[in-house]
Amino acid sequence: MIITQSLCVGCGRCHPYCPAGAIGYQDLKSFVDQDACYECGTCLRVAACPVNALVEPDSVYEYPRAVRKFFSDPTSTHAVTGISGRGTEESKTNDVTRRCREDEVGVAIETGRPTVGMGLRDIEKITRALAASGIHKIEPHNPIHSLIKNEVTGDLQPELIGERVLSAIIELQIKRERLPHLLQVIKEVANEVDSVFCLDVFMTVEAGLTIPPTVLAMIDAAGLSWRPNAKINMGLGRAWEESDT
Amino acid sequence: MTHSLHREGTKESLERDYCLFIYPARGFNYRDSGPNIKRMVELLYLTGPANMIAHTLRRNMYSGVRPEEVLESIKDGTRVYSVFNSRAKIKEALLQLKKADEGISVMVSGLVDRLREMTAELGIDPHMVNLSLGIHGRTDLLPPPDIRQFTTMCGHGVVSPALVRDVIGKIKRQQITSWEGSLILAEPCACGIYNPYRSRELLDALAPLYTVNRW
Repeated sequence: MIITQSLCVGCGRCHPYCPAGAIGYQDLKSFVDQDACYECGTCLRVAACPVNALVEPDSVYEYPRAVRKFFSDPTSTHAVTGISGRGTEESKTNDVTRRCREDEVGVAIETGRPTVGMGLRDIEKITRALAASGIHKIEPHNPIHSLIKNEVTGDLQPELIGERVLSAIIELQIKRERLPHLLQVIKEVANEVDSVFCLDVFMTVEAGLTIPPTVLAMIDAAGLSWRPNAKINMGLGRAWEESDT
Repeated sequence: MTHSLHREGTKESLERDYCLFIYPARGFNYRDSGPNIKRMVELLYLTGPANMIAHTLRRNMYSGVRPEEVLESIKDGTRVYSVFNSRAKIKEALLQLKKADEGISVMVSGLVDRLREMTAELGIDPHMVNLSLGIHGRTDLLPPPDIRQFTTMCGHGVVSPALVRDVIGKIKRQQITSWEGSLILAEPCACGIYNPYRSRELLDALAPLYTVNRW
């Protein structure tokens, strides 16, 4: 995002809307720090600039900067990845797709959330740590998968390393018995990144919304805890299309 | 929407905050799903959501969008995001969706104990849970927890901590009411699950405690 200096009246209305805190004053007019800006478009969508000085230049959609836009603007479609939204499936439609089975557990690492954002260099630290621990299978339909150059090493495309995104979600699926190992890897890499991430674990439940005690014991043994609120797939979905579609 | 399980706040406050999502699955029940989703959204309107968006329009309930415009925008594959501000309402919404049996996946984010009680009473057998194991890494970079109660109501993180502070300042200066402030905070959230009723309660509780320059 840029602010047309010849139009800006320096009212500062747009400043608080920026999740990155990227808008400040320069010579009495508002100015967007291009390195800090995630290209989320929030200022343009809702700050209602009284003189229409906020402008999204075409360069926002040019690779590699476009990665910022597609991972940070919730209203954008992933032109880079071809997937809309953040592209995660996690537990959303599992009652229909049965993608994550009873002997598996899904893990989502929500990099940059909440609100802090993360540089691709830090995201690469996570993908490398996962790869080094033998976890190479990041969900192929997840947008972040398209950013990976080498699944064996976890290296990202080198031209992306200087970019930053408001959030990108690394989604994995593993056998339940491997969860303790994965949680340990994630805890260790958390000490290496210069930002934050939220951690999710999803699994099928037993009758009466009983969370499998074995999985809870693994989380507990890893020194982690879970929040009292969670997201529940209510099991009300069913498939009606042919399976080959 | 992955993030709705990470909404922060006291249990007492989260008692009045339940997100409900409707998700068709591409390749499974996506084709011809439009009429089913439309009927489900009609039922949600009748149970009184605190906010709602169909991803085809991306305009929240306080933007001036009319229900008929929302319903008209729904097509095959439309995803719907909503939030309810009471247990009674989310329970009624689930009851109606269960009875309608449209076959589209429904997710609800909220207090697990409450949802366990509710689903048992309604005869719903949940399939999967997504647990939040919290925030990791440089947590010193985060805004304080009382600000995160607001910002985490937007899953994509586009409700800025600075905007929360700005709104609190305007309320303290009596330039806006806490409801007007909540609608300002709800506007950036493109997924429509920012709960303005809970936000108003939080602003009413917080505004007297804040000095304008804090954090």
